[in-house]
Amino acid sequence: MKKSRLPFATLLLVLVFFYLPIGFLVLNSFNNSRYASKWNGFSTRWYERLTERDDLVAALGNSLKIATGASLASMVLGTAAAFALRHRASKLQDAHRLLVAVPLVLPDILMGMSLLLLFISFGLKLSLFTITLAHITFCLSYVALVVQARLQDFDFNAVEAARDLGATKLQAFVKVTLPLLAPGILAGGLLAFTLSIDDYVITYFVKGPGSDTLPTLVYAMIKKSKDLPVINALSSIMLLVTFAVVAVSQRLTRPTPSSI
Amino acid sequence: MASYLRFENVTRRFGSFTAVDDVNIDIQQGETFSLLGPSGCGKTTLLRMAAGFDKPDAGRILLDGKDITPLPPDKRPVNTVFQSYALFPHLSVRDNIAFGPKIAKWPQDAITRGVDEMLDLIDLKAHAGKKPAQLSGGMKQRVAIARALVNKPKVLLLDEPLAALDLKLRQRLLVELDAIHDEVGITFIYVTHDQGEAMSISDRIAVMNKGTIEQVGPPAEIYEAPRSSFVAAFIGDTNFLDGRVTEAIDPRFSRCEVNGFGSIVIDNDKPVTPGDRVHLSLRPEKLLVSREQPSSSDLENAIAGKVEDVIYFGSHTRYWVRCGEWRLCAEMQHRKYQLDEQSPKWGDTVWLRWHANDGFLLEQYRAEDEGLLTLPDEDS
Amino acid sequence: MNKERRSEILATAPSFLWLAMFVLVPVLIIFAIAFRPALPAGGIGEGWSLDAVRSLAEPAYLSLLLRTLWISALTTAACIALSLPVAYAMARLTPVWRSRVLLLVIVPFWTNFVIRVFAWQQILHAQGYLAELLRGLHLIGPNDRLLGNLGAVVLVSVYTYLPFSILPLFAAAEKFDFGLLDAARDLGAKPARAFFGVFVPGVRQGIITAFLVVFIPMLGSYVVPDMVGGTGTQMIGNKIAQRNFSDRNLPEAAALSGALALLVLAPMFLRRKEKPQ
Repeated sequence: MKKSRLPFATLLLVLVFFYLPIGFLVLNSFNNSRYASKWNGFSTRWYERLTERDDLVAALGNSLKIATGASLASMVLGTAAAFALRHRASKLQDAHRLLVAVPLVLPDILMGMSLLLLFISFGLKLSLFTITLAHITFCLSYVALVVQARLQDFDFNAVEAARDLGATKLQAFVKVTLPLLAPGILAGGLLAFTLSIDDYVITYFVKGPGSDTLPTLVYAMIKKSKDLPVINALSSIMLLVTFAVVAVSQRLTRPTPSSI
Repeated sequence: MASYLRFENVTRRFGSFTAVDDVNIDIQQGETFSLLGPSGCGKTTLLRMAAGFDKPDAGRILLDGKDITPLPPDKRPVNTVFQSYALFPHLSVRDNIAFGPKIAKWPQDAITRGVDEMLDLIDLKAHAGKKPAQLSGGMKQRVAIARALVNKPKVLLLDEPLAALDLKLRQRLLVELDAIHDEVGITFIYVTHDQGEAMSISDRIAVMNKGTIEQVGPPAEIYEAPRSSFVAAFIGDTNFLDGRVTEAIDPRFSRCEVNGFGSIVIDNDKPVTPGDRVHLSLRPEKLLVSREQPSSSDLENAIAGKVEDVIYFGSHTRYWVRCGEWRLCAEMQHRKYQLDEQSPKWGDTVWLRWHANDGFLLEQYRAEDEGLLTLPDEDS
Repeated sequence: MNKERRSEILATAPSFLWLAMFVLVPVLIIFAIAFRPALPAGGIGEGWSLDAVRSLAEPAYLSLLLRTLWISALTTAACIALSLPVAYAMARLTPVWRSRVLLLVIVPFWTNFVIRVFAWQQILHAQGYLAELLRGLHLIGPNDRLLGNLGAVVLVSVYTYLPFSILPLFAAAEKFDFGLLDAARDLGAKPARAFFGVFVPGVRQGIITAFLVVFIPMLGSYVVPDMVGGTGTQMIGNKIAQRNFSDRNLPEAAALSGALALLVLAPMFLRRKEKPQ
């Protein structure tokens, strides 16, 4: 029987569709022309221009600070949440599960708007700090999701074995549970880190004046049509970093031989 | 004999389900003691209570005269070999074995010596640096045993340690386990649902059913002298007959009327008087199948029947023979099997013969235990 | 309280309290502030007022709502229509290729969202290669624009959300028993008939999930219409941002957000009903 080729053709087209704009950006970042529509020879001048933009460097610094803080905090909170959610029959966990799910489904604009109103209501000054609080909130849920998946095929007998061999509860946690879950927690942390770096909408709502992150600054530049080729160069570098992060996280989340 | 590990009126309930019901067991120092029973009989719960992962709702557990019931697992001088091995996947074989000694803060040279001794014992010195994922199932199991034994526990608890392995490997590891037991000489408590494993490794077996102990004794006693229909049917295969005692022949033997095929001679395994209703367990391999009527003797029973089913197993053949309302299972070894031999076939009339000593009177009979017996397909 | 329960509560408390504080309370505040008066200089006044909620009755809002629903529905339909054959094809690949392609599908979603939309803005630019090409082929007129219209918003939205609809559909397709398709063919069904009559119903649960993960966030879409759309493609999200940042009318922004929140909650209830099956 002849297999239909149509689905495979669609798959191929979709993959082209996915990577076309990305390739276009990278290519254009080496375009000597100021305008994307004309190819005017190869140049690295936009990359050189990048180094002169102190505001971009400052925004990158802010993004990294926020992402680091948000991913670390959400790793702790999300891991605790994943452990708690293991208690399946508990009413408390039903409510907890719902709460953890809300940031995953709530549109960003509502999350940004509601957090803005919260900070205003409590008289909190909008700053890098409020951005970090907002980022921890949505990162938490993603970390919980990733760690929960890891916990599903976690062999709790290993923890019992540690206790049996004389380890106290704390020793068993530190010497067995944590090392075994570390790849999952780290993968969750990495996901949190990229989500935080990536976020524009929520950040835009809860950022104070002058506390720009990379996405909000880039967005403002695009809106003002200012230095667009520089954005291409910056984007290419960010893509490179993203691909590196994906590669690392692939190594981490790859099923360990023991779980086969 | 003094008891070393003692379960005293131990009960454990999970909600409305009683997993272990008022169990009393005395285990001697140095013996290999098996807890044998079908899944859900409470054997694993009992073991987990000995290890400290579970606490009895009532009763206590004593080790060497001391009450260990309230102690957490890390404070008990017992170690467990888990069914799923539960090796630490992030640690090498050596570090897995060294886990207990390190926690117990042995001096470094003592740890090295202890681990090396264990690696010798399980013959895995060449694999000491490997991670568990790189080992075969049998090797993992040996590491799990070494990891427990290195701590010199007073009792080693083994929870279905061979269940995950294939048959040949299981048989080999059983021999190894026996050798290890001889070498270290500590008390082994072995949980299994496999009667063959329990028979071959144990000094004594406790057969469990529905949270209670049905019988405790050496393997041969459990097999040859089962107290209840459950023990008789769970260990090996058997035939159940019920009848009424009609006359006492002498202090050791009685005559008994079995509905449908007349009078047979039975051994008085328990005191009986004429008029008693008795239940008899008759193992298939004790029944001799012959095509000719055997010459009768005082203590031999012989009844005629029709072959309803024949299954050839290689080392032996199994016959189901219809005798009145009974359908008896008999097994014949082929010691000098010849292909041209006239063995009984479907529809043949044959004689079943057994010595009165080969039947055994049960103290307790429950009709539901018949369900444990192997039966041929009714259609075949 | 037993030990087990105590350790459960101890593990629950941090995330539970955090999410209550930064998700539950803020959503409630949205509804509260919708009933506050706006100050002319921006900010929230004292006392209570129905002005903001009443403003939702303006006819312009009705067309805004309908447009938002329309764009979201178009995007969702396009995503699912593309994801079905893609998920089918992926599930039929060998395991090695399956994980490779899966990675290829996920990676774009890891790259920066703003940058991806920016790339499309350049591709669709009036003087861009694509516009020149289409003009050369006389597919569009000399004054037609690729940017600023509904098509651009839907195209870029599909680009953004396609991975989200492929993943649940792929998960469902992976569990699908492809022997059923052979059975359908064996019983005389043409390939297309087998695909729509057997495969599509077989991955029904995946379609529902794909619908929810695309449609709900689409309702709150803001960046895509802002960057590649025009005045005719404004969605609720754009209006919220406008009320908030340009008009400085927080109560009206809150009232709109509250309305959007209710709109989003409706399909979520649908999902809760769907769960027990």
